[in-house]
Formats: sequence, structure tokens, C-alpha cells
Amino acid sequence: MSALSSTGPRVRPAGYAVVRAGRAAFLLHRRAAAVGSCLLALLAALCVAYLCVGESFVAPGDVLKVLTGQDSGAELVVGTLRLPRMVVGLMVGAAFGIAGALIQTVARNPLASPDIIGISQGASALTVGAMTFGVTSYTVLPYLSVAGGVLAAALVYVFAWRGGLHATRFVLIGIGFAIALRSLTTLFMTKGDYLVAQQAQIWMTGSLNGRGWDEAAPLGWVLLALVPAVLWAARAQRTVSLDDDTATALGVRLGRVRLGLVVIGVVLASVATGAAGPVDFVALLAPQIARRMTRTAQIPLFCSALTGAVIVVLADLLARKLFSPTELPVGVLTAVIGAPYLIWLIVRSRTTGGK
Amino acid sequence: MTSRLTARELTLAYEDRTVVHGLDLAVPDGKVTVIVGPNACGKSTTLRALGRLLKPRGGAVLLDGTELARIPTKRIAQAIGLLPQSPVAPEAITVADLVSRGRQPHQHWWQQWSDADERAVTDAMDRTDVTALADRPVDELSGGQRQRVWIAMALAQETGVLLLDEPTTYLDISHQVEVMDLVRQLNHERGRTVVMVLHDLNQAARYADHLVAMKAGRIVAEGRPEEVVTAELVREVFGLDSVVVPDPVTGSPLVVPGAPYSPPKDAPPKERIPG
Repeated sequence: MSALSSTGPRVRPAGYAVVRAGRAAFLLHRRAAAVGSCLLALLAALCVAYLCVGESFVAPGDVLKVLTGQDSGAELVVGTLRLPRMVVGLMVGAAFGIAGALIQTVARNPLASPDIIGISQGASALTVGAMTFGVTSYTVLPYLSVAGGVLAAALVYVFAWRGGLHATRFVLIGIGFAIALRSLTTLFMTKGDYLVAQQAQIWMTGSLNGRGWDEAAPLGWVLLALVPAVLWAARAQRTVSLDDDTATALGVRLGRVRLGLVVIGVVLASVATGAAGPVDFVALLAPQIARRMTRTAQIPLFCSALTGAVIVVLADLLARKLFSPTELPVGVLTAVIGAPYLIWLIVRSRTTGGK
Repeated sequence: MTSRLTARELTLAYEDRTVVHGLDLAVPDGKVTVIVGPNACGKSTTLRALGRLLKPRGGAVLLDGTELARIPTKRIAQAIGLLPQSPVAPEAITVADLVSRGRQPHQHWWQQWSDADERAVTDAMDRTDVTALADRPVDELSGGQRQRVWIAMALAQETGVLLLDEPTTYLDISHQVEVMDLVRQLNHERGRTVVMVLHDLNQAARYADHLVAMKAGRIVAEGRPEEVVTAELVREVFGLDSVVVPDPVTGSPLVVPGAPYSPPKDAPPKERIPG
């Protein structure tokens, strides 16, 4: 702690707490921290419910035994089937949440998200294309999906570039690419075998069905590697959310910083799509819900990640249970859960709706 | 006269349209310089280049003798502050939050808030009289208040040079005077170098130490307002007939435009719009 000379009241950024550690000092948005804590608690409760509920009910005590490595007879159902699937769901939701937040920040548009500007469609086109040409291995397809997403994003970025990145241009060209790539996917599906088409259809809706540790591990490593990048992004958002001239005047190299944010967002979205397919609306809804809960001036990354995870885990829990024993793809339910909540938030806060 | 900030043979263009042609300018240190000229004469463009918002097509802007393009942007941002013509605040941001973002060039990701930051922000908000608004959202403020908040943000940046692009546009007359007085005061008490683009020639003549008149991308005249502002210059630069008299309050030149349109006598209006 440093001693402040006490001459009159000092101004601090309203709503922030200054967290000091030696010479380092970090700004922490108080409300975002509170909302984040609540979301974490909610997520923990959901995770317990997720592991207990299913075709057969497992008591919370037995779930705990499996988690702590004790034998309880529920090892197969909880440890092998539900737990890895839940972990994939958590990571996919968090990745989509952050990806949406970053792309919406750069595009300065709440409607921009990986599933609107062509990234998910790029992933779908390449994956479905490969399926029709006989690639069915689930160890290869996720990588193709990542490649498709990154490729589509690169094309959108190059076409939108004109001496600088214009936010509206970026979104419009992205929408154009999304439509074109969706047609391409449809073309592949009609050309392919009907069994392949059916399999592709499920993949495109987004599903966690049958996901295990083999899918969880690579996803986890990629997310872990991106943690420093996301911390950097959270800091960069403070200036990128200002207008171009003001940000530049503050010494921000806007072109580079934006490219950095887009790259992180695209990688996250592509990797998540590779693991679970394009789970629609999570990337679109989670950041906006998080922002309205925290009332921050920029989209809060950490809370977007938690909101995304909550949506996916809750949606998959319902997808497994609602029509049991039939399991719905998780993508069918994410929008059903997120959209009404977002609409309710917007209607309730009339002051921020008109801008 | 010394100049930290200078432009040498500066040529500026948007796409293939050249707006400023080979302009040379030395911004006098510790003075208020005002650039005036008709619409589209390149005055705002010149200011943007001085604040490295625009890359020169030819020539260079120099800070302490070094080309801006060769100085790290963060270092430039510690020396030159710029308030754009119509800055946009993020939705729902509070006044104190916005002003503290002016500290960006002095911070690191691991050093997001220091005593110096706190002092600079407190001081900037105090000077611009927005301390009482600290917790209010910027989008709820009046135009005058909002402009003072933006100036506070530029002040919090604590730069020796401050560039302001038409800081009085959209303000009513009393707020205009308030902002202009604030700028002069800052210049006087802190010795800050100020460069402003202004629309109003009389306002420019009142507040400038050094006046630069531009037309069609070139400097037509520069110097003390008393030397520069003449009826001849107003005709040459703005194409306007006028009388220049001493300002009854300050003695600085006051431009009074020629007589307004008046209908010729005995000629009834030819046509009336029905209704």
C-alpha cells in the first residue's frame, strides 16, 4: 500500500476498486466482480445438478465420491459419461462467450458474433464438405472445423480491409460470407449420402452428445494457452471501446490491437466449434447478457465466459433430460434459454436500448 | 521563439484527393495557436496530422526534431494530447471512468492505477469543474458538460501540447466562452502549448497568440491576430466583404460582415408560397 497525501477528496474511476500487489495495481470493476461471483456460484450448482440428473439419478453424495476418486458404483455414469461431457460444455460455452465479446467489441456492434459473420459457417462448410468426401473420423473433423473458421475469418478480414478496418464494413462483409458459405454447406449436403447429411445436420446444430476426455483435452490446452492473451484483451478493451480518433490519440495502435482481438476471438470460436459444432446464439447472447448484468462500459470478458458456460451447461442438462430417453442436440436449446432472458434484460433497462 | 512541434513540407491526402499541399508550420511553444479558414480548407486535416491521426503523403511532422513516424506511439501520447471534433463515449460510461482513460499512455497492464494517475485525474476534473459529475453516465450530460468532460480527459493525459479540433462547436455562446477561457487559463498557468481549429474568426482573434489562416490547403497568412486579421485577408480567404474594427472589450480585431440582404424599395414580392 502506498500512502496518499490527504489533500481533499481524490477521484477514482467510479465503480472500480484498486487492487494493489506490491508495485502492481489493477482496476477491478466492483459490480462485475459481484456478478462474476454470483455466476460462479450458479455455475457450481448447475454442475452438481448436471452430474446428478440424467436417464438415471445419481445422489449428490455419490457424485462427490466419484469426483474425489472413491468407488461408489456410479463411476461409469458420472465419471465416464457425464463429467467429460460437462467439462467440454463448460469450455465451449466460455470460449464462445469470450469470442463473441471480442468480436462485438471490434465490430462495435452487439449483433456481430462468430455465428453471424461467417466463422461458424466457414467451419461448417469445410467440415460438412469433408464428411461428404468420406472423412468421418472424429479426430480429424475438429481440426478441419478450426481451419474452416480461421480461413473464413481471414477472408472476411482481408475483404473488409481498406486502409483500415471499418467496423460496419467488417460486419456486412462477414454476413455476406456467412450466406455464401451456408449455401456451400447445403450444396455439400445435397450432393452427399443421406446418412452423411443426417450426421452433418446434427453436427451443425451443435451437440455435446458422446463427447469425452479425448475432445476435452485439446480444447483445454488451447484455452489454457490463451489465458494471457485474454488478459491482454481485457485491458485493450478499455481503449478500443472509445472512438478511433480518441483511442489513437491515447497512443493505441488500433490496427494491430484490433487484429489481435479478432485473432483471439476467431481462434476461440473455431476451437469451440471444432469440439461441439456451431452452437448457435451463445456467442451472440452471452456477452450482451453479461454486459447488461454488470453495467460496464465495455463488454466484460470474464462474466461473458461464465454466462456462456452457464447457458451451454443448462441447455445441455435440459437437452438430455427433457425428452429423455431421446437426447436433443444442445444447440436446439441454447437460443431458447438465452434469448428470452436477453429480451427481458433489454426491456427492463429502457435507458440503454436506444443507442 | 522555440517550437517542439513542427510540420515540414507536409502534404496530406485522402485516397487520391490531396487536401494540404507542402505546408510548413512551426507551433510556438507555450502559446495558443489557432488555425482558421473556410470549410474544407484542410485545417482539421492539418491538426489530425499534427496529432498523428493521419499519415502524411509527403513531408513530415516533427516532435523535438524527430519524425512522428519514428517515435513509439505511447511516447507521442505522453507529449501530445488531441481532442477530436466529435468524440464518442462508450455507452453507459461514467464521467470519472472516461476521464481516467486519459491516463492510458502513462500506464502498463500491471500498473493500471497509480498515485500520479489519481492526482492527474482529480486535478483535470477539478480544473474543468466536472468533479461533482464524477459518478454520472456521460450520455446523460448536456452538451456543455460533456465537452468539459472530454477536455478533462485530454488534460488528464498531461501532455505539453494539446490539440483541439473545434472545441466550441455545438455549444451555446456562454459555454463557448467558458471553454475558451479554460483553454487560455490552462495555457497561462501551466505553460501548455495549445493548437486549436476554430470556425469563428472573431473567437480566434480573441483567444489566439498566433493565428494561422489557411485556404485551399495552404497557409495564406500567420502571425499575431492584429497583424493577420484585415478586411483584405477576410476577402481573400473567406471571399467576404467586411469591416474590421477593434473589439470594444479586448481591442483585438473584430470582423463585422458587410450589410445583410435587404429587399429593394418599391418592389413588391413577386410570388408568395401559398398558405
